[in-house]
Amino acid sequence: MGMHPGTPGQPGHSRNQRDELREPRPATAAIDAPVVDVTNLRAWYVTRQFGVQREVRAVDDVSLQVRRNEIYGLAGESSCGKSTLIKTIAGAVRPPLEVLGGSVLFDFHGEHLDLYRSPPAARAAIRWKHLSYVMQGSMSVLNPVRRVRHSFVDFAYRHIGGSIADFENTVRAHLERLQLRPGVLEAYPHELSGGMRQRVAIALATVCRPELIIADEPTTALDVIVQKGVLGMIREVQRELQSSLLFVTHDMAVHAYLCDRLGVMYAGRLIEEAPTADIFRAPLHPYTRHLIASLPRIGQAARMDALKGAPPNLAAPPAGCRFHPRCPLAMEVCSQQVPPLETLTPGHRVACFAVTPPATPASAPVSVSPTQVSTRAAPPGDSR
Amino acid sequence: MWKVLRDLLRHNRGFAIGVALLSFVLAIALLSFVSPYSPLDSYVVPPDLPPCWPYVLGTTSRGQDVFWTLTFAIRNTLLFGFLVALLSRLLSLTIGLVAGYAGGVVDRALMSLNDTFIVIPLFPILVLFYFVMRDRMSWVSLALVMACLGWAYDARLIRSVAMSLRTREFTETGIFSGMSMPRILVEEHLPYVLPIVFSTTMNNINWSIGLEVTLSVLGFTDINTPTIGVMIYWANQHTALVAGIWWWIAFPVLLVVITFIGLFLLAVSMNEFIDPRGRLGRGAP
Repeated sequence: MGMHPGTPGQPGHSRNQRDELREPRPATAAIDAPVVDVTNLRAWYVTRQFGVQREVRAVDDVSLQVRRNEIYGLAGESSCGKSTLIKTIAGAVRPPLEVLGGSVLFDFHGEHLDLYRSPPAARAAIRWKHLSYVMQGSMSVLNPVRRVRHSFVDFAYRHIGGSIADFENTVRAHLERLQLRPGVLEAYPHELSGGMRQRVAIALATVCRPELIIADEPTTALDVIVQKGVLGMIREVQRELQSSLLFVTHDMAVHAYLCDRLGVMYAGRLIEEAPTADIFRAPLHPYTRHLIASLPRIGQAARMDALKGAPPNLAAPPAGCRFHPRCPLAMEVCSQQVPPLETLTPGHRVACFAVTPPATPASAPVSVSPTQVSTRAAPPGDSR
Repeated sequence: MWKVLRDLLRHNRGFAIGVALLSFVLAIALLSFVSPYSPLDSYVVPPDLPPCWPYVLGTTSRGQDVFWTLTFAIRNTLLFGFLVALLSRLLSLTIGLVAGYAGGVVDRALMSLNDTFIVIPLFPILVLFYFVMRDRMSWVSLALVMACLGWAYDARLIRSVAMSLRTREFTETGIFSGMSMPRILVEEHLPYVLPIVFSTTMNNINWSIGLEVTLSVLGFTDINTPTIGVMIYWANQHTALVAGIWWWIAFPVLLVVITFIGLFLLAVSMNEFIDPRGRLGRGAP
């Protein structure tokens, strides 16, 4: 499921050809195995106080895979569980966040790791070396009262080892590769601009050449010009290291610019996943369609319609499909059953009964075919 | 560091005056090492002489030279202040950082201990301590007791900063990178709280010297170790003011006031340095 080779029209396809000078990766049978395979992951915020247990179902039953050398984008509005999902994938789980089910499997060139069934030492050993995490608000990853060099030593040195001098040479070489002056090492974070700090934070995360980089809104606080520069740098690093990137932002324009594949989250669930171009060209889930239709277009004069209501409270999510209270296509079954994430065409998965009717219709729902659906709500001039 | 000190001396009058006053006090304390008399001997000079050469600050009714006794007294008083400050800083840093970082049960336990120390009345405890210890009471044991009583306010202050630091991204990154708790506290959080600690150190020295003088004047300490308070105690015992030997009391009081002002000015100018707006005007350190 979901593991077809990239089609020529895919945005990420051509980039591999630029790296022919590099030593090819070992050709094993598992070359197409995903770097990370998330299955039915469920992570809730659980608090117990005065005998009352409250839970916020931030990530519920999410399955996704990130392949080698690809940029996977995770989209969704604020508080839909994006950050929690990638925190859970990165293993940065601290109470009250709890992982209640599912698995996160890593495959770092034959080195397999089942994140939540491994001892903490094994979990810690992959960090930085194989898996790095650019945190939300990563501009403040650097300690404000320490020189940048100290932050590199504090956070990354243990994962490389060797002498401090060797390590500093590695860092300098890495910074130069990213076109940063090695002089930034001697600066305090407040002496650097926001974009510069962001670049340094990315350099810090990638200095050990990890195979999987997880980035949580790394460009949200920047203006568009600086953002473009930083995104270009992220892409450059990803190409250079041939690593995979799991990229989270609510900014669809950034996704369109950067990502090969895109997953859309709503209220703690993954509702649609497809190659980026397909999502933008032919979104299937009603939520995704509204999301894409809400993007302003050049020359557009008409007023855009807003979707009624607000995202549900994840402490008490609605039964069935979590989108059904706001969904214009809602049927009876939507409030009773959770739509599974089904593969519609190879590589395109969607969780909606309006697109993939339930196998055993309990109460004869009004079936709507996908073509009908897409012509009804797709933006003008963009129908298939 | 030296550049910062130089700039502070040049541009911050309070800091410059504070440093000058404390250097003066320190110089007097250092002179105790070349004193011609032992501080414990009495009747080594003619008693009750007003300031005159060679007894520049006069002599006491016990036949001691006020100036040379004062050098010992201020040395012991300063040492006492520094010792109390050092020990109580260690306590407040450890407890504040650990409580703020660990949170939960650890935080609650440490803070209830902390609040106990905040609410117990200091002075009666110290007097009680003297009556229990009596002759075994020494300068060092008093310093230990005061250090155990003087950390609580600053531990709360440091904890509040540490609680905020715990949620910052650099802490999260440290945890993610596998740094242990002691390393995060020492390498990431300690540099952040250190300027605050410097400032509170000055206040703590002031507080401990003041309390020591109070206790000594009332005779609730080891009265055989010369400190500023003990000097005033002996002067009172010999009814120096009634007898007109004003120099016996005036000079110790003057010197301890100079010490207080110096430490206060340092603490205030340190505050100004910690304030990033003040630092910004001076350019980055």
